[in-house]
Amino acid sequence: MIKNYLLLALKVLRRKPFYTFISLFGISFTLMILMLITSMGDALFGANKPMSEVDRMVFLPALSRYTQFYDTIYTIDSVLMDDGTMRYDSTFDTEEIGSNNSDGSMSYHFITEYLHGLSDVSEATAFSPSSFVDGYLDGRKVTFRTYYTDGNYWNVFDFNFLHGLPYGKDDVDGGNQIAVLTDKAATEYFGEASDDVIGREVTLGDRTYRVGGIVARPLKDDPTIQGDVYLPVTTMDRRALDAKTLEGSFSAVFLATSPGKRESIKKQLEFLAENFVMPPEEDYEEIALYPGTATEVFAGGIMQERDYDLAKMMFFIPLFLLLFLFLALPLINLINLNVSRVYERKSEIAVRKAFGARSADILYQFIFENLVLTFIGGAIGLILAFFVIRAVNANDLIGIVRLSFSFKVFFYFIVVIVLFGLLSGLLPALRMSRTNIGTALR
Amino acid sequence: MIELNNISKSYRTDTIETLALQHMNLSVPAGEFLSIMGPSGCGKSTLLNIMGLIDEPSEGTVVLAGREVTDYNGSKVARFRNEQLGFIFQSFHLINDLSVVDNVELPLLYRKLGGKERRRLALEALARVGLSNRATHFPNQLSGGQKQRVAIARAIVGKPNIILADEPTGNLDSHMGGEIMDILTRLNKDLGTTIVMVTHDERMAKRTHRLVRLSDGERVS
Ligand SMILES: Nc1ncnc2c1ncn2[C@@H]1O[C@H](COP(=O)(O)OP(=O)(O)OP(=O)(O)O)[C@@H](O)[C@H]1O
Ligand SMILES: [Mg+2]
Repeated sequence: MIKNYLLLALKVLRRKPFYTFISLFGISFTLMILMLITSMGDALFGANKPMSEVDRMVFLPALSRYTQFYDTIYTIDSVLMDDGTMRYDSTFDTEEIGSNNSDGSMSYHFITEYLHGLSDVSEATAFSPSSFVDGYLDGRKVTFRTYYTDGNYWNVFDFNFLHGLPYGKDDVDGGNQIAVLTDKAATEYFGEASDDVIGREVTLGDRTYRVGGIVARPLKDDPTIQGDVYLPVTTMDRRALDAKTLEGSFSAVFLATSPGKRESIKKQLEFLAENFVMPPEEDYEEIALYPGTATEVFAGGIMQERDYDLAKMMFFIPLFLLLFLFLALPLINLINLNVSRVYERKSEIAVRKAFGARSADILYQFIFENLVLTFIGGAIGLILAFFVIRAVNANDLIGIVRLSFSFKVFFYFIVVIVLFGLLSGLLPALRMSRTNIGTALR
Repeated sequence: MIELNNISKSYRTDTIETLALQHMNLSVPAGEFLSIMGPSGCGKSTLLNIMGLIDEPSEGTVVLAGREVTDYNGSKVARFRNEQLGFIFQSFHLINDLSVVDNVELPLLYRKLGGKERRRLALEALARVGLSNRATHFPNQLSGGQKQRVAIARAIVGKPNIILADEPTGNLDSHMGGEIMDILTRLNKDLGTTIVMVTHDERMAKRTHRLVRLSDGERVS
């Protein structure tokens, strides 16, 4: 019987090429876009190396120093008394009329001096991202984006080491000139990224480092992991490292003991900022810290909004609305198509019933047609998504971000489509299967 | 076999009420070949639809094979339609998305039959109406007469006990019409199939056992 329905469905779909094409196009195209968007979301926010523990990370990219100005405002109220005299009352208020602030990265001194010893933190790292350092080899110059990091950096971020090892705390403390290169940087500098490169010398600026390890370049656009070259923090310019100012070139990332403890770390940092006693030599009176999770910092950065909850709403609500619309439109279209198709086939249903089809037979028939359509559309969408993702990755269409294929998303989408297909085909079919045959056959 | 007791049928539209059948009494014994004649709009198709359980009477009762029909939508009535009834509609009602042979096969889909067996029976029925060479055509590639013959093949393919034929020869030339009459007569004689046929053709009516005339929803003979 199932075979009958299947054959029947294929026959009908083949006989209605336009309808079939529109439906298939709608299903497969929507599926493809959805797969692209979700795989982009996964590439941006997903727990992939070297941010497998992103769910436990608290990011502190910057420090804000500020001074607030207050003004005293007098208000004079006049009251007319019963006896005709006037009385005057004066009140005064202090009101913030402005602030002077300076935002920027932190100094190594500030991070190591004030931000240590927080509870619920399992690892914490301080690093100075994005200095551009020239490397020289045989008179050839290559400019590298260089990160100066502490030893903990490699515990917080689980880089994929292709060759060699990271430098540790002892190397950092000892000021050992050891470099970790990405495979891309190693290839640019040495012409290869193999075991042979480990131990070789790389000249960066006025120092010469020994290559300790080669990591796979992270396929993710994030300012905390975008280096070509990683060097121990103690090998950077000592004046910058030892400066006792608050501002510097460093960021910090804290790894919470569990995802739930991130809030605690954020609270501790905010508390610390509120109760911070400003060193007398600073120009400003107070500091503020804006620690956040990966999505918070991302949304805050894009929206230029310090209130991360607001930033997330401003960024994600329109995004989800858009996504919802994008999904709703083809689905509504599909429903519409289904409904009108069922009504169009009113006389077919009536004829079938006149020759002995039960209501259930009619329902099965439409269910099968929808299922067949859905699965063919799903398969096409899957293939489309696969090729588009491959093309995006091969041509670096969205920077270094690499998209991957999510079978989970595919599965959910198929479930949704089947549900909608069933509902949209079933309800009218159910109604039609009950209509009077005689009147339907007029 | 078929008994109509005091059947009335009225169609209600927004403004007017049409009385298509009034107090109709008719009894068709098993094995009879009955013809129905009457002017256009007198209620012949309505009568046939009520006999075939695809329209409910407004009043009166239908007794089919000894049982009074009360439910017009259940799976029992579906089974009855499938096994006992064969329809030839006045306007054919072929399914345009299906090939000729698939159309003919349709009643068999709702029986427990293998695909090969279904196909064999459908081709056999097509052969009987002289349309073997059009099996893979689609209805919109056929002439009116050919469509009518497909509709006849579909009605006889399941070897039903009752055939309800609404002008089965209306679109055919006298030669083809005669052949269709031969088929129906043979079904009636060989298998004892009860046949109720609406016709405008006196010669066809003469070849049946009995003629019932309608006028304005009433029996006049
Ligand atoms: N669904 C309907 N709604 C309203 N009126 C209807 C409906 N079906 C039939 N009628 C009316 O009932 C009457 C009988 O119709 P019916 O189709 O039974 O006539 P007929 O005898 O078969 O005519 P013909 O020879 O032209 O086929 C007609 O007046 C028709 O207009
Ligand atoms: Mg008629």
